[in-house]
Amino acid sequence: MSDAKVSETTLRLERLIPAPPEILFALWTEPAQLLRWWGPAGYETSVHALDTRPGGGWRTTLRRPDGSVMAMSGVYRIVEPPRRLAFTWAWEDESGARGHETEVMVSFEAVPGGTRLVLLQKRFESKQARDNHDVGWSASFDRLTKIAG
Amino acid sequence: MAAARAPQLDSLFAALADPTRRAIIERLLAAGELSVGDVAAPFAISTPAISRHLQVLERAGLIERRIERQWRFVRVRADALAPVESWLSRQRRHWTAALDRLEALAAAQTPKRRKS
Repeated sequence: MSDAKVSETTLRLERLIPAPPEILFALWTEPAQLLRWWGPAGYETSVHALDTRPGGGWRTTLRRPDGSVMAMSGVYRIVEPPRRLAFTWAWEDESGARGHETEVMVSFEAVPGGTRLVLLQKRFESKQARDNHDVGWSASFDRLTKIAG
Repeated sequence: MAAARAPQLDSLFAALADPTRRAIIERLLAAGELSVGDVAAPFAISTPAISRHLQVLERAGLIERRIERQWRFVRVRADALAPVESWLSRQRRHWTAALDRLEALAAAQTPKRRKS
């Protein structure tokens, strides 16, 4: 199993993908590309905002076959083409209220034959906890990527 | 809220208690969407028996159907397991499926290198 669980509040997924980092980065950051894979098959994916700059917002919706809609949104924190992307993420409920705030960090490392993609999603229990995490987050991410390598 | 949710959980657990139905769910999670015939293919039981299992899974809210011309397709509802899943496993499932699609697209957009 290549997926390792870092902790109860951090999800980590790793993939070796036979494509260069530039192609993967574009698939994450260009709306027309993102909506081709972001939502499950049969769900109509819409990209309402994708302001890929630090501080820029994003919002996407998934329309189920029965017509109901799930939305998720967040703010970009790190945008370093084609190596790294970090953004906050929360599901929204029917009233538009955001659920648990999380941060997603994706790194694209060129390796022979393609790219090593590492995705980390970290859950913050409270806004205060998240703010406290900001300082140490990049360092721990680098450490984790090294462990992965 | 908890009381209103109980019947849903009952039907969810009842649906997942059967090994054939669990195998169907696992197969659908791996494949995404399948025709009813493709769902039935690896199982050594009749198509009507598979259809009954699919009905149970559908009533429990685990799968949904789509009809296109004469074909019937089934897939796992994206949030089907949310009532019984942890945040971590729900997100893992979400990303695993998304990264499968990402990987296929990225590979398709990458020119093949000649093997020498």
